[in-house]
Amino acid sequence: MCETCGCHQPREIELNRDILSENNRIAEHNRGFFKEKKILCFNMVSSPGSGKTTLLEKTITAMNHDEKLFVIEGDQQTTMDADRIEKAGAPAIQINTGSGCHLDAHMIHEALEKMEVKDHSILFIENVGNLVCPALFDLGEKKRVLMISVTEGDDKPLKYPYMFSSSHLCLINKIDLLPYVEFDIEKFKEYALIVNPDLKFIPVSAKTGDGLEKWTNFIYDLRSTISSDL
Amino acid sequence: MHELSLAWDVIEMISHEAEERRLKAIYEIRIEIGLISGVEADTFSSVLDMIRGKTILEQARIDIIRTPGKGRCSTCNLEFLMQDLFTLCPRCGSIPSSILSGKEFRVLSLQAD
Repeated sequence: MCETCGCHQPREIELNRDILSENNRIAEHNRGFFKEKKILCFNMVSSPGSGKTTLLEKTITAMNHDEKLFVIEGDQQTTMDADRIEKAGAPAIQINTGSGCHLDAHMIHEALEKMEVKDHSILFIENVGNLVCPALFDLGEKKRVLMISVTEGDDKPLKYPYMFSSSHLCLINKIDLLPYVEFDIEKFKEYALIVNPDLKFIPVSAKTGDGLEKWTNFIYDLRSTISSDL
Repeated sequence: MHELSLAWDVIEMISHEAEERRLKAIYEIRIEIGLISGVEADTFSSVLDMIRGKTILEQARIDIIRTPGKGRCSTCNLEFLMQDLFTLCPRCGSIPSSILSGKEFRVLSLQAD
């Protein structure tokens, strides 16, 4: 109430609260869970059709004999990807986001309650194919791995800079198609490094297996640092 | 369109806040959206308008404050405006070593009873 004339004056409440704070809180909770169970978690992001599921199938075949691998699949509809992963030999759980365009930390928290991810294992979260929305949502992963296929064009880092700026590793997929498309790897890297100077690159072909060993070595190296960390 | 789920997050945050503080009405909400935050302010405003009916924010005036993107040059230390994440230093052409502002996405304040 105004002291002069008695007119109505509402209260001013300062909040200064980050709108992503609830997602980030749950992501930190997930991260704590992974740390305690010594689980190495990757958040795999890309456009639809860049080859994430094929790469995961090949990764499972290559690593299944000496690592425990688990996969959380995110798609708007169907369990097709989880079925493919299970067939390749790793337990998988499918999250259908319906009309949603990204996974968030809460969805991962719920998936972890449904699927028993074993201690000392490696968990791949295959995010919804989308180069825009998943960029803002921390899931609690150790590393964010961005996949780009050479058919998408070398200008993607400048067109979708948020995803590039928030990722740790960039897999350049479908390099077996390089002779047939106009994709300049050096120009692509140059653009990506403007947005994220710390980004690392591994060119691969999920189809032919080219570069796959560099990718699995990247995972094994992280695995050993995590084991000695804890 | 992640703006839709972010708009829901705002409604949930404010509903929770209103319950905690026993607020009956919210007249105004001030939201800061940095120009290089990755959130489209126009889209965010539109979807918030679409979904806030029958919530505590139904009658509130939505005041959106845009904060410019600013970076510091990694080579010559100049502070410069960033229109996007790949703006280079206008003096020497280097990438910024740090982003000083423009990534904000937060609820600043409420006017309420």
